[in-house]
Amino acid sequence: MSQVEEKTTLPEAGTPDVNRRNFLRYLVGGAGLAALAATPAGKMLEGKSEVSVFAVARQAGDVPELDGTEDAITRMNADLARALQKPVEQRRWAMVIDLRKCVGCHACTIACVAENKLPPGVVYRPVLEEEMGTYPNVTRRFVPRPCMQCENPPCVPVCPVGATFTNEEGIVEMDYERCIGCRYCITACPYSARTADFGFTYTENTPVAAGLVVGQQTADDYERASNFEYGRGYDRPEGRLASPIGNARKCHFCQHRVKEGVLPACVTTCIGRATYFGDANDPDALIAELVASPNVMRLKEELGTEPRVYYLT
Amino acid sequence: MADTTVTVQETRRQPFVWRATDLFWVAGAILMLIGAWGMWQRLTGGLGPTALGSYVPWGLWVGFYDYLVWLEVGSLLVFTTLLYLVGARAMTPMKPLVLFTGFIVLVMALLVVFLDLGQAFRFWRVLVNPEFSSMIAVMVWLHLLYLLVLLAELALVMGVGSFGENTRERWLKILAFVSLPMGLALILVSGSVFGVVAARPLWNTSALPVMFLVSAIAAGSALLLLLTVLFWPNKEEAAYQENVARLARLTGWLLLAGVFAAGIIGLTSLYQGGNPMRTEAIMLILTGPFWWSFWLVHVLLGVFVPVLLLFQRGEQPRWAGIAALLSVVTFVAVTLNVVIPTLATPELEGLAGAFVHDKLNFNYVPNLVEWLVILFVVGLGGMLYGLGLRFLPVLRSAKEEA
Repeated sequence: MSQVEEKTTLPEAGTPDVNRRNFLRYLVGGAGLAALAATPAGKMLEGKSEVSVFAVARQAGDVPELDGTEDAITRMNADLARALQKPVEQRRWAMVIDLRKCVGCHACTIACVAENKLPPGVVYRPVLEEEMGTYPNVTRRFVPRPCMQCENPPCVPVCPVGATFTNEEGIVEMDYERCIGCRYCITACPYSARTADFGFTYTENTPVAAGLVVGQQTADDYERASNFEYGRGYDRPEGRLASPIGNARKCHFCQHRVKEGVLPACVTTCIGRATYFGDANDPDALIAELVASPNVMRLKEELGTEPRVYYLT
Repeated sequence: MADTTVTVQETRRQPFVWRATDLFWVAGAILMLIGAWGMWQRLTGGLGPTALGSYVPWGLWVGFYDYLVWLEVGSLLVFTTLLYLVGARAMTPMKPLVLFTGFIVLVMALLVVFLDLGQAFRFWRVLVNPEFSSMIAVMVWLHLLYLLVLLAELALVMGVGSFGENTRERWLKILAFVSLPMGLALILVSGSVFGVVAARPLWNTSALPVMFLVSAIAAGSALLLLLTVLFWPNKEEAAYQENVARLARLTGWLLLAGVFAAGIIGLTSLYQGGNPMRTEAIMLILTGPFWWSFWLVHVLLGVFVPVLLLFQRGEQPRWAGIAALLSVVTFVAVTLNVVIPTLATPELEGLAGAFVHDKLNFNYVPNLVEWLVILFVVGLGGMLYGLGLRFLPVLRSAKEEA
């Protein structure tokens, strides 16, 4: 544990110059973070999904002192640590996506798929590609589209059994055990931010490589082991259509990570630092600064859904 | 062991005589056999084997459900109105049959929508933990209450219980009057399931529930006409001819009213300066890959030809029956065109190519599994209907009523 802690130690404030040694430290730190991000799957494969895999981050509960020159991730980590010290009902999680920085690498999409172990056909954060203008004056824009975590979510009142609801922190959650799979919420979402889980696996009909560490069977075991959504494990036993199969699924801002003081997977993975996350109720948080930018916009504002995902244009 | 004397009372078995109505259960059994593979796929593989996806999450089955609801509630609304409000007592002989038909169609509708659920065996949650802010919850409750009223009516009309004739009639009348507002509400709510969805501009209009109501009454009237032509107890009597002619005219006018209601939505949606997503969806109906389902199946075979026949040859039961059959069968194209094209219109640009998978595309075409399940459900309905006509006093009661 201490080793991991050491690896994830972030550079001290006030040392913005990146010399070779610092670069290596960052690299090792990054590897540590990656190892940390990879830990849940490993733990879950060992059947220990109930153990808090983010305990390391939580130990760093103290809010680090910052001088304003840090990387956005460092600052957001500090913001997050501060937000977690507030009562739950006073937090208002929000996301800002800087469209000028997004290069359309889809790393966030893949990070999300890996983090939540999303099966084929289920996606929480696709990156939409828009082409504007006519040749030769053509430009492309990439629009990552997580769940908007609307303040007035149209998906919530349409659920006939109350299986989807807004929690105290403003996140629209799913109760997989309650959902009957009518998919009304999917039709009601103006952002197509919900997908249905049809029970597929990536390893279906793939060749079996017996005796190898990475074979069809091993990969299949991984796919069927629990993910960590909503802080509990939902495994996918073979031959059973158990939840979340048959349910609607959606982005939840990686609540299982956030609760443990770790930023959502899409935020930490963004290579262009285009995605920001934090407590919009905290005036000192980076997210609050960005939300107040004049060049901020939200998707389909005219519908009055009041999304908590903002775009910088 | 003590000796026992067994007295065997020999009863003379009636030889099995085929009736025309047996065609229903025979055809039903065949359809069920054909559809069995689709049902197996559905029950073992969930919704995975269907062509449904996350961008077009509702398809053939939801469209078929609405179609059945239109037929079921529409026919009962028209019948009850004619019998008890208009005072067309000549329709009385059809009462048991209309109620029984409505019951069977209702069972089929509930089965289809049950099979459309991703976690179908949690359907009871809508009854135990309903959220009445959801139109689906309201619809399910209304539907089940309607089923109870219908069952009570059916039981009474088939002579279940030891009620006097007057008591039976009085209760039948009370239940019929209860079923009227319930039926109206059920149709309006089933339209509102779509109408309240602000995310889908083509659905999101207050005209849609009204269009549902008019269409349901038109489809129901056509079904009533078909049932009259097929099952009127005594086709020699003048009342038969008169009823067919009246129902033919009524159905013709109701079909035209349906065109009017749908036309309002269509024309306002086509307006150039309107909502582009709405226009795109309506253009998909009119000129998309399934244009023929609208123009040929619905407009030509479902409205134009029947209206022509009903107004020109409506007095002749054979032609009236053909017109009604055409209308009843082709009405399914309307509900499918309400459900699918709207969902097949992307809500955001670039969504189709953002993350590629079979279940993330907008080109929905019902696959074999979905059609086979429909065949199975129709077969089951046909079999129950045929067996009901043979073993329950449905037609006998109709003759008694006459």
